Amino acid sequence: MTLQIELNGVNKFYGAFHALKDINLAIEEGTFVALVGPSGCGKSTLLRSLAGLEKISTGEMKIAGARMNDVPPRKRDVAMVFQSYALYPHMTVEENLTYSLRIRGVKKAEARKAAEEVAATTGLSHLMKRYPRELSGGQRQRVAMSRAIIRHPKAFLFDEPLSNLDAALRVHMRKEIRALHDRLNATSVYVTHDQIEAMTMADHVVVMRDGIIEQQGRPLDLYDRPANKFVAGFIGSPAMNFIPAIVADDGAQVVLDFGKTQAKLAIGSRLSPGTSLTAGIRPEHIKIVAEGQGAFDVPVGIVESTGSATFITSATQPELTIVETGRGGAKSGDIIGLAIEPAQLHLFDTATGRRIEPQSGQVGIEPLRHLHLAGHAS
Amino acid sequence: MSDQLRNRVMLAVALLLAAIYLFPLYWMYITALKTGSSMFATPPKFLPSEPQWGIYAFVWESRNMGRYLWNSLVIALGAVSLIAVLGVGCAYVLARYRNVWVDIGLFLILMLQVLPASLMITPIFVGFSQFGLLDTPRFAVILAIAAKSMPFFVVLVRATFMSVPMELEEAALVDGNSRIGAFFNIVLPLARNGILVSAILIFMQAFGEFVYSKSMIQDIELQPASVGLNSFMGPNTNEWNNIMAYATIYVTPILAAFILLQRRIVSGLTSGALK
Repeated sequence: MTLQIELNGVNKFYGAFHALKDINLAIEEGTFVALVGPSGCGKSTLLRSLAGLEKISTGEMKIAGARMNDVPPRKRDVAMVFQSYALYPHMTVEENLTYSLRIRGVKKAEARKAAEEVAATTGLSHLMKRYPRELSGGQRQRVAMSRAIIRHPKAFLFDEPLSNLDAALRVHMRKEIRALHDRLNATSVYVTHDQIEAMTMADHVVVMRDGIIEQQGRPLDLYDRPANKFVAGFIGSPAMNFIPAIVADDGAQVVLDFGKTQAKLAIGSRLSPGTSLTAGIRPEHIKIVAEGQGAFDVPVGIVESTGSATFITSATQPELTIVETGRGGAKSGDIIGLAIEPAQLHLFDTATGRRIEPQSGQVGIEPLRHLHLAGHAS
Repeated sequence: MSDQLRNRVMLAVALLLAAIYLFPLYWMYITALKTGSSMFATPPKFLPSEPQWGIYAFVWESRNMGRYLWNSLVIALGAVSLIAVLGVGCAYVLARYRNVWVDIGLFLILMLQVLPASLMITPIFVGFSQFGLLDTPRFAVILAIAAKSMPFFVVLVRATFMSVPMELEEAALVDGNSRIGAFFNIVLPLARNGILVSAILIFMQAFGEFVYSKSMIQDIELQPASVGLNSFMGPNTNEWNNIMAYATIYVTPILAAFILLQRRIVSGLTSGALK
């Protein structure tokens, strides 16, 4: 596999504002990459930089092996689908589709043939003579996609293309875009703030915050082993529970601090006693058992049922969210026992938010303490 | 019920105000058709008893109005073309870039609009005569009008450009067009209505312009209709019917154009505000 998009140490400043901070990214040909993060995290800036609509301040950007830093958008051979679709309102669907070809001097008949072929695959054939204002949201979305497809570009750039659609259509288009990507064997970069879109569509997810790549990798790797508390809280729905905790005296357990009550939980390996950290547990990894049968008991606060799953919020501080498939019998005010697999417990350094791996038996500050002692001894 | 009553009262007030506003126009049209004696009759007549239809042909011939209107047309078209060519680019830049200098520029542009023509004419006259521009007086007037009306045009057209989403231009850039190509292919067609409307408003202003023409054009052969109308009115004039007939011939085409285009003009003026 060859690298289709390469970013090395890319920075972007808007005056004093540092929008992209030392971004490194390598995207292989044929990969579907999702850039995901809260608004203002720099994901759109990164995408626009790839398109050439923003100029990067420092670093190097390559598309298909060629340096792109100073290349204008029209010479980059990438196609972009905008959030608002950006269809040309004064052109018919057909003219919208063939616009890029006409600029490149493709003959009229040839351009029309290409448009018809693309329209046939995206179901637009009967709408070719319409203007964008006469189309529904979903149809406009298809036109925007078709306009990108017709050019066979080196990369597709998507800027939150589904955010203007209703929920049902969004789920449908998710699959359609992914199918399209596979059929064209294209390289796609997809910006979204919706982690579910990122998880379901992408081969490679890049989580960003404040201009920094917090973590990148395969979707399930991000879910299973989030590198820090931010990624842990961002990926997965409903979001992961975070509870302040302290490593117990034996080093093999953590004490979860619920304010009034505390709960002990095995961590499967040893950490240095007394370290304070943040424990993360995904709602779907907590099993409800009878009172006294689990690791600890909590009172039930709110019970919400969607029919297929039940969401239980505990009456503790901080709250715990628990997802139970099916319809549990728990009612508000009940006391329930909770069982948690040690392997499914995530531990994070409270100060830095970085993930602590119990398996390695190392806590952020522990090696330092050893060094200190060693220095004393000699 | 009270809603209906209120609507009726509002309508009555609106009609009354419109009547007051349009009365001079009405008076112009009927005075032109009156005979010399009925013009000065007291109480005045609101409908001419024996309309003098022949007066239009008479005034047209005797005042050589064809020449005057031709000069007005030359000046107005010249000014509009100059303003459109220079102003569209200026408005586009001011619409797309936002910084302190652009704000200062806009402020200065609006300041220019504040200065009245009668104040500006003296320095302009002196300057133009130094450059020898007064040898081509109609061109000098075109320049002066263009300078005077440019701010108005730029501010209006800037609003139109701002209503064209930046993303459309960006889509054109990614689709393979250059900045200039995107401007001509995408932005200009979408801003066409606003530009046309602004140009029409400028045209109407320039068509009736008086101060610059009166001051700079001495040769009667080159004077526009507004100056011609002024020279019609001496201190002891009593041919008001002829003057009103002249005015009727002068303004009716503009009025007709405005009424025909008024829908477009109003929607063009507000389109920037609604989106």
